[in-house]
Amino acid sequence: MTDLLEGEIGIATESDLVVARKAVRGAADSLGFSVTDVTRIVTAASELTRNIFRYAGTGVMRWHRLERGGSLGLELTFADDGPGIGDIEQAMQAGFSSSGGLGLGLPGAKRLMDEMEIASEVGKGTTVTVRKWRRKA
Amino acid sequence: MTGSISVIRVGDLLLVTVPPDPDDPTVGELQEGVLRAMEQYDAKGLVLDISTVETLDSFFARTIAETAQMVGLMGGRTVIAGMRASVAITATQLGLTLGGSLTALDVDRALRLLGRGAQGGAR
Ligand SMILES: Nc1ncnc2c1ncn2[C@@H]1O[C@H](COP(=O)(O)OP(=O)(O)OP(=O)(O)O)[C@@H](O)[C@H]1O
Ligand SMILES: [Mg+2]
Repeated sequence: MTDLLEGEIGIATESDLVVARKAVRGAADSLGFSVTDVTRIVTAASELTRNIFRYAGTGVMRWHRLERGGSLGLELTFADDGPGIGDIEQAMQAGFSSSGGLGLGLPGAKRLMDEMEIASEVGKGTTVTVRKWRRKA
Repeated sequence: MTGSISVIRVGDLLLVTVPPDPDDPTVGELQEGVLRAMEQYDAKGLVLDISTVETLDSFFARTIAETAQMVGLMGGRTVIAGMRASVAITATQLGLTLGGSLTALDVDRALRLLGRGAQGGAR
């Protein structure tokens, strides 16, 4: 069994996107994020897993709990060995899409989360890391 | 996941309750089911009840906006009803617009907006 607060899910089919959303919801809920923050985190995860599915075909989502200076957080990593992103700056622009999408996934995920990093190499793959910190009540 | 979407007739309107966390094929099925029912029942409008939906991402939103547009081409009006506050906040931050579709706080208000449900008197 996977621990609620850390784990790994392979992304290869559309139903994996649902499984990934459930896992992220479980982790964010048990870390005590607010309902709105849980929704933000799950929505960002949905965008980033769908990007793996759509552009790379397969990949993996990993998640784990963070602790820094008394604050709790959640880190999600989305990694694939797909085609990579040639121009990350362009991909981050709202409205840019190579697939007729809305082009909201990457810029939207960045706004919904507190931190985001993209590492990508053309022909090698893409890794997107996002973090959300729990606001102190 | 066939059968997970049910389309209910309310007079000359259609009411569809969207499941909480549908996979992409189910979202596509919803669109097809709605358009087929619009034609079959000669419906004048559509109420999409999303009150149980906890995650509205860009794919889901685009399909909803598209469906509303298609219903519009068929002469019907669409009202998206019951969006949760957390979903509304998230959708706005994500940059979603739903293509300017009509919205209502709940199904009751949505039906009234489309000219239904007033027969029983104001509640
Ligand atoms: N994992 C990935 N591998 C390769 N390219 C990617 C990956 N993720 C995103 N991209 C590229 O970045 C672009 C922007 O992605 P983003 O998620 O912002 O928009 P989209 O997927 O095109 O549309 P939307 O997510 O709104 O449906 C994509 O069109 C694609 O070209
Ligand atoms: Mg995307």
